Amino acid sequence: MKRSAQRIFWLITLIFFLILVAMAKLVFMDRQEISSSAYNPRINYVDNSVKRGNIRDSNGDILAESIENADGSYTRNYNRSRMAAHITGYSSKGKTGVEAAENFELQKVHNEVLQRINNIIKKEPVQGNDVVLTVDMDIQSIAGNILGNKKGAIVVMEPSTGRILALQAYPDFDPNTVAQNWEFLKDDEDSSLVNRATQGLYPPGSTFKVITALAALQYYNDWKDFTYECTGEAVFENKVIHCYNNRVHGTVDMKKAIATSCNCYFAELGKRVGAENIRKKAEDFYFNENYPFVLAHSTSQVALQKKSEENEIVETAIGQGKTLATPLHMAMIASAIANDGIMMKPYIVDHIQYYNGDISKTTVPEKLKQIISVEEADIITDMMISCVAEGTGTAAQIYGVDVAGKTGTAENATGSDHSWFIGFAPANDPKIAVAVMIENANQGGSATPIAGKVLQAALQKYQ
Amino acid sequence: MFDLIILFSRYLFLFYIVLFLWQAIVYIAYEQGGYLGSPSHAISIQKGLIIWLHVTAFLILSYEPGAFFFNFKTLGVALAGLIFLLLSMMLLDKFYYEGCPLIWTGMLFLLDISLIMLQRLKPALAIRQLVWMTLGIVIMLFIPFILRLIPRFEVFEYVYIIVAYALILSTLLFGTSKYGSVNWLKIGFVTFQPSEIVKFLFIFYLASVFRKRVELKELLITGTLSAGIVFLLVLQKDLGSALIFFMTYMVMLYISTSNEILFFAGMGAASAAATLAYHLFSHVRVRVAAWKNPWADIDGGGYQIVNSLFAITTWGLLGSGLTKGMPNSIPVVESDFIFAAICEEMGTLFGMGIVCLYIMLFFRGILVVIRCQRRYYSLLAAGVTTMFAFQAFLIIGGVIKLIPLTGVTLPFVSYGGSSVLVSIMMIGLLQWVNVYCEQHELGYQDSLQQKSSTTKWDGDGFRE
Repeated sequence: MKRSAQRIFWLITLIFFLILVAMAKLVFMDRQEISSSAYNPRINYVDNSVKRGNIRDSNGDILAESIENADGSYTRNYNRSRMAAHITGYSSKGKTGVEAAENFELQKVHNEVLQRINNIIKKEPVQGNDVVLTVDMDIQSIAGNILGNKKGAIVVMEPSTGRILALQAYPDFDPNTVAQNWEFLKDDEDSSLVNRATQGLYPPGSTFKVITALAALQYYNDWKDFTYECTGEAVFENKVIHCYNNRVHGTVDMKKAIATSCNCYFAELGKRVGAENIRKKAEDFYFNENYPFVLAHSTSQVALQKKSEENEIVETAIGQGKTLATPLHMAMIASAIANDGIMMKPYIVDHIQYYNGDISKTTVPEKLKQIISVEEADIITDMMISCVAEGTGTAAQIYGVDVAGKTGTAENATGSDHSWFIGFAPANDPKIAVAVMIENANQGGSATPIAGKVLQAALQKYQ
Repeated sequence: MFDLIILFSRYLFLFYIVLFLWQAIVYIAYEQGGYLGSPSHAISIQKGLIIWLHVTAFLILSYEPGAFFFNFKTLGVALAGLIFLLLSMMLLDKFYYEGCPLIWTGMLFLLDISLIMLQRLKPALAIRQLVWMTLGIVIMLFIPFILRLIPRFEVFEYVYIIVAYALILSTLLFGTSKYGSVNWLKIGFVTFQPSEIVKFLFIFYLASVFRKRVELKELLITGTLSAGIVFLLVLQKDLGSALIFFMTYMVMLYISTSNEILFFAGMGAASAAATLAYHLFSHVRVRVAAWKNPWADIDGGGYQIVNSLFAITTWGLLGSGLTKGMPNSIPVVESDFIFAAICEEMGTLFGMGIVCLYIMLFFRGILVVIRCQRRYYSLLAAGVTTMFAFQAFLIIGGVIKLIPLTGVTLPFVSYGGSSVLVSIMMIGLLQWVNVYCEQHELGYQDSLQQKSSTTKWDGDGFRE
């Protein structure tokens, strides 16, 4: 009896230790993710005795700051207003963007006891921590100005690290006046409050062909010898696929098909690769799966199954059908190809700066996973170079720099096509990757020249 | 200024519980033959810490920042609580001469946490809880007399199980629903949970049967009757109690037979039954779904657990400071989710301290089981100890999303009359067994004396 009682003691003590471990895990590992949820009522809790920290860009410029009112309370001021609206988010009527994601960091007081004592003796404000972003307002502004009042999104990343240099989306809003304009904004037809770069789900169109091509590289052994006679139109089981403007491309191999964005080639290739293999490759690239990122973001979707019908397969192969992706996600895909097949975890917070000027450890770039081999990345890069050099992407060319890219024109429910460009430069040693998406672009303005200008501006600073 | 004090108080509360646990280690070390300090001194420090905890917390709770003065009503509760604590400390030693002092201080610490948190969350409940606590302690003081009046109460095994069934069945017939479980009975103005009283009867019944040699016949009868109770509780949607009764049965069976095969076979059967229940009852599926991914249904089944996780994770290791958090955003925070509120305002480290406190109480309980020579009393202690420990595990594990949530109370801390009364009385029973064995069993005292004589004797004249 004595021994069995001892054993029961160890058994139950063990399960209590599991509780201690689970609690430690909650506080040390899951804290950021859980507590910054929009459902957490504590996110709107304002401690008026603390001056909320600033949000700064990578140059140290202030994007959001707290200004003391006459009564001792604070008003949040957004210096760059609309230009960084989808990054900072707003902080009245709930919180979004970095204001929500880093809410507790902005409100956290470093050396709290010391600061509180100083507050009583010297009347210095109790200062929350500053959040310093990876975003560079120089590039962010250029992207914003080029985008102008075209609905769409531009994402600029550093492929080797996952640093986000710019994240621009239009329509936008003025974070300073969200409370005043709330009645209008909350049911706004244009959904100005939605960050199209991270939350907007669009059919990726021909930019998805890089995924179909990569699926063929792995699952279709004859891809090198496979050529297709493009007549501008191809008939599949109850589905007719057209090339853009019914253009006849003649005999195309994969490189030419990427360069000229031949739909007929990729529809046939997709059929040969098979529904499951395309889906598997897309899921390797984080379709149908959430990837870690601090700002609110949507999960891209691809809806192929083993039993999918032929029309679904050929539509997905060219990025139509039920396939949907966010601009941020497409930028991550371009980055992964640029970075020898390694997808980096995208991040936007570089470090935390305390009231006394000390800084926390800088965010260390993290590898999400090696998705494709270096050889596969090189093959696709080569094809993407020819797309910009001699194919549909010539408008993105930069003098003296090789650009790799893929254009896209996505049919959608509005009847007016979305224009896409994903790419990176310099092609042989990529420093910058971009994704540009312009809604209903045939009303003027395609994504490709915009991407070219943004790439050029970013390279001037980061090469 | 007041902000600064609250800020500082977080460290103070952490210091209290760490020192409290350390003093328990000092006491245990002495008992096991080591020496870290005087054990009687350690207990005095623990008692002092409880008073300090009470005073610190209630000063913060009763202060009115704007008015620069204290709320007299809250001060009244504070004073009543203080008197309760001081009287309990005095009387418990008198009525249970040579009971384990660590169990007393551990219990009082938890009761005081309960008072503090209820005053913080729903002040109206604090005073009612205090009344229940007082009643519980008064009844407990008489347990030694009552048990002395009834000689050989182990022979009433059938009475226990028949009354137990009657109570459980009566809730099925006349029960009222509260928090989604039909396990409450209403008599006049008082609503109570019969399953709390059945806990006692169940332990008495099993101890009475298992004190004899357990043959196949006993195994079948107790197994069937226990399974019946568990099944009825699942029908009443009281999954937590069902699990507690099952675990108590398994542990008491294992302790009395020392048969591992039986234990694992029982666990296997339970897993099969749980799978069956999962497919049979929708309320079981809802619980499991809310545990697997509460985020999928934040506004529905996942609401409670998600809000609990917000409370625990938002403020980090030291918490928001008493009165500074938003624990009232958690549903039923005063009862099932009080642990999340403690973690929010006093810090997750403090919450871990509370978990350690339960481990300590459990350890003291098992020690009684091991030392006691008479099978019947040893089994009683085993039943009480496991029931108590497993209940704490179920609710804390549920609140932190380690296991699916089952609505049971956190012993001593959650608001609830039946819960507090029964928890206190169970500790009374455990202590009575402890005292009885010390006084009636020569071997028991010898083993203790032997230990004491081999260790250093301290100047304070430690009683054992």
